[in-house]
Amino acid sequence: MSVSRDDFSIAFRSALLQRGASQKFSVLSLIFLALIIFFLDVYGTKFTSPVRGFLNDVIYRISYLSSTPTRYFPKATSNISSFLNVREENKRLKETIEKYKSLELNVEYLSNQNQDLQKILETEYFNKNLNNIVLAKVLVDKNSPFLKSIIINKGTSTGILKGMPVTLNNYLVGRIVETNYLSSRVLLLNDLNSRIPVTLGEGAQAILSGSGLDKPILEYLPDDYSIAKEINVFASGKDGIFSPGTPIGKTNINGEVDLFVDPNQLSFVTVNLISQQKGNL
Amino acid sequence: MAKVSFLNKIYNAGPLILLYYLCISEVDTNLEKIFEIFTLNFQIILIYFWILKRPEIMANGHIFLAGLINDVVMGFPLGISSLSYLIIIFVGTYVRNKSVNTTIASDWFTFLVAMIFSNLLFFSLLNNFSDLSFAFSKIGYNMFFTIFTFPIFWLLFNIYQISLLGNRDV
Repeated sequence: MSVSRDDFSIAFRSALLQRGASQKFSVLSLIFLALIIFFLDVYGTKFTSPVRGFLNDVIYRISYLSSTPTRYFPKATSNISSFLNVREENKRLKETIEKYKSLELNVEYLSNQNQDLQKILETEYFNKNLNNIVLAKVLVDKNSPFLKSIIINKGTSTGILKGMPVTLNNYLVGRIVETNYLSSRVLLLNDLNSRIPVTLGEGAQAILSGSGLDKPILEYLPDDYSIAKEINVFASGKDGIFSPGTPIGKTNINGEVDLFVDPNQLSFVTVNLISQQKGNL
Repeated sequence: MAKVSFLNKIYNAGPLILLYYLCISEVDTNLEKIFEIFTLNFQIILIYFWILKRPEIMANGHIFLAGLINDVVMGFPLGISSLSYLIIIFVGTYVRNKSVNTTIASDWFTFLVAMIFSNLLFFSLLNNFSDLSFAFSKIGYNMFFTIFTFPIFWLLFNIYQISLLGNRDV
């Protein structure tokens, strides 16, 4: 019995402390080092923030470069397949042009009506002031089962701050949760940690919560409210961060929200600096 | 002769290069697009296998560094993935010290133990010391598929080991 206990302790100690020609560091020393780094990162914000920011900027750039082959390979294969289908595509595009020509007349009327309605709502359409928009490229879009976020190539050097809304074609995509000098992390609307106050087309207020899946869900709806299909969902702006009326998506039959922007297909996004300038954050 | 030696060095560095690449690049093993709940932690499988079979090609310091890189890319607090990987190394080294001959079944079972300890530490630290929240169902699926796919990768790595590095303990 005592021999078996000795065996256990020898194997245990050896696993923790053993070093050799190929192992320059023991597991125990590295565990202590990892714990120190972890607690410094969690608690020592003053000291670690600049270090972490620098590390993030460097690693995000390396990550972007190392992901280049994986990004271009699917593009090359899709280019070849689209070249082979060019006749069919041409025919389809002609049909689409005809369809859009007939819709063109309605667009001017609708845009005028839209502007009038925005004036009534006393909201500013942030497209009018392009100085407040920062266009950013998505550096890293690593698909994690736990966190839904992207990294963009603009940071505090261009005036981006935590909490700022991120959009694509004026549709809400998410918000900034981490800023470095040259890069930022955007928390997407479908992340489990994302909560956005929204207004439904009919005026009902709710919270749009990320579910960790592709489609976020609506929470805290009025008691007697039943969700119907195809209702537009907008940011309500009640948090003072998101511009009121920013379109987000449409409800579906399961009570989820089909986002206007596919969170898995982002290449460029815009960061809206206007909320920060207003002092709303 | 020099060419053979160079190739051997490349083959030996293969698993470590793969680990670094998985940690730093956009390539991931989150296959939710294929099957809604299919995600796995490939890094853990990679580390555990090579720590068991060829610890000399998976240096602890490199694994520690790969963990730090993974934390930066994924947005986790620094050091947490390193800790998780080090627990895997610890269990793997302990199993290697205690056992003479291992089979796929014994490796599978001990991997389960290693992964439970590693994920327990990882998620309890994240839960208590960060603002991030997680769906426990996703953690469960991730663990399940990681365990489920372990034998497949065990066989693939074993083929790599036998054909390119030379059989040593099989």
